[in-house]
Amino acid sequence: MDEIAQTFVRTSFSSVVRDNWDLAVGLMDSRGRQFAQSSRSIPSFIGTMPRTLAVMLRRYPPSSLKSGDVLISNDGYHGTGHLNDITMIRPIFRGDRLICFIGSVFHTVDIGGAPSVTARDSYEEGLTIPVSKIVREGEENEDVIAFIAENLRAPGETLGDIRAQFVAYDSGRKRLQQILEDERIDDLDALAGEILDRSEAAMRRAVGAASDGVYRDRIMVDGFDEPLTIRCEIRIEGSELAVDFAGTSPQVERPINSAMNFTRAYSAYAIKCAFDPGTPNNDGCFRGVTITAPEGCLINPLRPAPIWARHLSGHYLPPVIFGALAQLMPERVIADCGSPLWNVYFSGRHDDGRRFVKMFFMNGGHGARPHQDGPACLSFPSNVATVPVEHFENSVPLLMTEKSLIPDSGGAGRYRGGPAQRLGFRVTSRHPVTMTIRHERVKFPPRGLLGGLPGSAGRDYVNGKRIDAKVRMDLEPDDVVTFETPGGGGMGPPAERDAAMLQADLESGLVTAQGALAYRPGAASGEQGDE
Amino acid sequence: MNEPFRVGIDIGGTFTDLVLLDSRTGRLFNEKVLTTPNDPSKGALEGLEQILDGNGVEPHRVRHLIHGTTLVANAIIERRGARLALVTTAGFRDILEIGTEWRYDTYDLFMEMPRPLVPRHRRFEVPERIGPTGEVLHALDEDAVVSAAHRIASAGVDAVAISLLHGYRNPVHERRVRDIIRREAPDLVVCISSEVMPEIGEYERTYTTVCNAYVLPVFDRYLKRLTDGLRRMGIDKDLFLMLSDGGTVHQSTASSSPIRLVQSGPAGGVQATSVIGRLAGENDILCFDMGGTTAKACLVDEGEPLRTTEFEVARVYRFRKGSGIPLRVPVIEMIETGAGGGSIATVDHLGLVRVGPESAGADPGPACYGLGGRDATVTDADLVLGYLAAENFLGGDIRLDVEAANEALNRNLADPLGISAMEAAWAVHETVNENMAQAAAIHALEKARNIAGYAMFPIGGAGPVHACNIARKLSLPRVVCPSSAGVASALGFLVSPTSFTFLQGGVTALEDLDFGHTRAMLSGMEHDGRELLSAAGTDDAGVRVENLAAMRYLGQGYDVEARVSRQMLEEHDRAAIREAFETAYRKQFGRVEPGMPVEIVSWRVIVSGPLPDIELAQAGSTTGPADALKGLRRVYFGTGIGFVEVPVYNRYGLSPGNTFEGPCIFEERESTAVVPPGARATVDPMLNLLIDMAAP
Repeated sequence: MDEIAQTFVRTSFSSVVRDNWDLAVGLMDSRGRQFAQSSRSIPSFIGTMPRTLAVMLRRYPPSSLKSGDVLISNDGYHGTGHLNDITMIRPIFRGDRLICFIGSVFHTVDIGGAPSVTARDSYEEGLTIPVSKIVREGEENEDVIAFIAENLRAPGETLGDIRAQFVAYDSGRKRLQQILEDERIDDLDALAGEILDRSEAAMRRAVGAASDGVYRDRIMVDGFDEPLTIRCEIRIEGSELAVDFAGTSPQVERPINSAMNFTRAYSAYAIKCAFDPGTPNNDGCFRGVTITAPEGCLINPLRPAPIWARHLSGHYLPPVIFGALAQLMPERVIADCGSPLWNVYFSGRHDDGRRFVKMFFMNGGHGARPHQDGPACLSFPSNVATVPVEHFENSVPLLMTEKSLIPDSGGAGRYRGGPAQRLGFRVTSRHPVTMTIRHERVKFPPRGLLGGLPGSAGRDYVNGKRIDAKVRMDLEPDDVVTFETPGGGGMGPPAERDAAMLQADLESGLVTAQGALAYRPGAASGEQGDE
Repeated sequence: MNEPFRVGIDIGGTFTDLVLLDSRTGRLFNEKVLTTPNDPSKGALEGLEQILDGNGVEPHRVRHLIHGTTLVANAIIERRGARLALVTTAGFRDILEIGTEWRYDTYDLFMEMPRPLVPRHRRFEVPERIGPTGEVLHALDEDAVVSAAHRIASAGVDAVAISLLHGYRNPVHERRVRDIIRREAPDLVVCISSEVMPEIGEYERTYTTVCNAYVLPVFDRYLKRLTDGLRRMGIDKDLFLMLSDGGTVHQSTASSSPIRLVQSGPAGGVQATSVIGRLAGENDILCFDMGGTTAKACLVDEGEPLRTTEFEVARVYRFRKGSGIPLRVPVIEMIETGAGGGSIATVDHLGLVRVGPESAGADPGPACYGLGGRDATVTDADLVLGYLAAENFLGGDIRLDVEAANEALNRNLADPLGISAMEAAWAVHETVNENMAQAAAIHALEKARNIAGYAMFPIGGAGPVHACNIARKLSLPRVVCPSSAGVASALGFLVSPTSFTFLQGGVTALEDLDFGHTRAMLSGMEHDGRELLSAAGTDDAGVRVENLAAMRYLGQGYDVEARVSRQMLEEHDRAAIREAFETAYRKQFGRVEPGMPVEIVSWRVIVSGPLPDIELAQAGSTTGPADALKGLRRVYFGTGIGFVEVPVYNRYGLSPGNTFEGPCIFEERESTAVVPPGARATVDPMLNLLIDMAAP
């Protein structure tokens, strides 16, 4: 499966796809059951492909599919939760018989429209490609291609990625057929069934080993206009696990709603991390797992709620699930990380007038673990790498003034949360630079777990003055914008921290003398909640 | 004057291998002794004495000594390097600890990140700033450097690494910081990034500089012990060392850039296969090196091993990309899987057989060694399947215990799965082979190479046991088992040219390329290279210089390397440079982007001497195949074929032209070659075993 992913990556162009592994490749059997997925994919793509396929097959039943066809759609409500992810699926035939589907999802920066922090519905957010046959029996469908090309600002890059996948499907098909020949396998469904059954059994064993019961948590979301709440209830009965988000705030007219597929993906991801991280990911793992949320809420919005920045609510699902599970299995979960993922868009002009647009990712501290401190600045639950300072400065007229760990930012605990980072950017162009940010965990910092203290809250500054965490503004030449990402939450009572580890933190400067006070017996504990 | 003997010495984790070449006759002599981990020079010197004594060679008749060692990599892996300080640009001392912010495992919440080699309190900042084009934006605060130097001196460190932002583009501040530290603390070893590795990318460049400083004092002491020992033996020749990219350098160069030796031994193995391949008429090769703890694979393309400047050392999760320390070092590009002879097989929670990455190592080793190992390993499986003989392992030095192997397979695998020990052994064998085949296939795809016509060259002790099975999975037509596969790395040292690679980063749009400045920069590197080679005794007339530019389309995250000729630079021929880039790009990605601007990310200049003139002896005797027959053995070839009585031959008794139909087995001291049913083996004049996989 990684081989198909690799071909795709190799032949694709967009730097988003190749640098961030912002794609997933999957194999579904003839009944649409996903039995394999590329291992490096980011979590938001988990399990969405078979759901998209089911929708596609309602439009094009299997009997209407021919060898060489490719289906496409980017409908956020049927796909991964926003329009920027395009799903394509190719049926694979052996003779006349449909034996399986190869599919992929990838992220494209440009999908037309005017995605912004102020979008009030999903129509503003770009082009929706309905389920279509983009390739018919090996021939590109010019009408569909033209429709897409006409609606994008930079169609070359997106179409390049789309065509790269056609090449990848072909190499995947050949490799698959060779494996079938070599192994004398005629029926992939039986093989898929076996793989899915084993994965199912592994997850059921893990869930079955946990005590039956109902476990609850809720988490506060900074939100746009007012704070929002996500409530989570996990019910375990035998080998069955049900997650329900009843009581979560209603959907909002801001692009932070998480469509149900995105909600399912991040919930399934958290459950897999906690119960059965070792088994390869496929549909079988989640046969005994149900994930529900009331219709019309923040994490199961109804069309046409805007969904572009879905991670601003969806990235809260792993911590709220871990929070609930902490009562059941404290050894298998982590404290809150400094996420939803932080990023910043800069756009403007070089001195010579050339335009630039640059997105920069920056991660907060990782939550503490049951027996380890949280690592500094690590991406979770998403997984994107940062751009090196020297490469960044070579591509845009901004100079970084700092990229350093923030003392006392990791929540105190028996195990300390991962430190956050401070990043400074100075405008060196003689033109203003427009900056867009939408940062969370500014009002409600990452929580500690089991007596651990919260990590530090995020902060945004321009020239040393606090600014709003969700803002689009112009920076003048020489202005310095500074971001402090949120720190990871601590785990366990701080007073129980090993003296040598505290001493090492003091020596390294990650904890100051002032910060060390939190570790004294009788100092404030983390049980006071998050408000 | 020209003494005839050349010696290659490879110090590996378990064994130290030596190869002695008599350049008059082309005859090779091998020796294998146990590595002495506390002072590896001891084992090397003992081995050297043995091989010289054993073959009646007086020490002074050795002309050339070339050496490779795992010492550099091991010092980093085992954290046995110097006590270090790091100096960075103010605001950036945490670069080492922040890293890429990327998790190398999607699902493991408890993954370990590599601990920084320099603790935070020994990372010092100095106010200064150089911009991306090399301009000084803020002058260096020299008073701050002096005060940092004092704090460094009182921190009790042995060495200091200095890595300032954009130091690759303008070294002026790094040099000044170095000079001040040398003045204030003259005893310290000081390494600056602009000398160790002037490449763009602060995380990798800083770590490369840090690792160089970290191993330098250790490596220096080791070299001194080794050269002292050589002198005592009566060998007063200079020592040459094998670098990770397949070039060799004089000891003085190696001792200032020890990080270049981080993959020294394996590079030798690949060099050996490319030379043996060239002599055997094979230029496209999949080199497969399977030892005790890992297996490595490398592509040799038109006689040249693929190279890269990215290397990761000391992975915390063994073999997991992203879990180690990232370096920028010229290396032969290899993939590594955690499956060697000693890798342990278990049943995972899905009821599937899993092999590695845990290894039984040499101690206690596989269960069949009888040294107390209780876990089933790949070697145990190979023994039970009949591929290995109990009485022939390492020429009979270790007698293998079949009963213990069976018991371990039962305990680890067969009992939990309800299958026989034989079926379990086959499952282990197949799992290892499938993993390697898949890893090699992905690697080839990533490199855009169609390996369908490549010949596989197995080396390392376990390589020839598994090669044919893997070749079949990859549909490779031929497997070539070189003679002395077990000491291939040491042999590779002897056939490698003296060579050094210079790198220089700096992003420039091709449109804006300053040809005068570029020519001056490249000439500077060429000049330094010629000086190095000339000091190492290479005749300047035979020196070859190659200029390569790493280029990409504007804004891309990946670059592609292409040769840039002197003529292109002299004629300011941007179109030709673009064409060179697009040819390489098309080969890699299957398309180009007309109209998209191209930028140069870095330059690489390779200055190398001539290839050593090596002629390997050709065997003359003509015996029939039957003369080498040792007997028959029951060997298992999978569910379809089952057990077959196969002839077992003594590899040393073969003569050129001998032909054998598979299945058959060839045993030599360090290894065993397994030829499956349906394949045919022929012995070539250099006593390589050519296995035709598709023989009818």
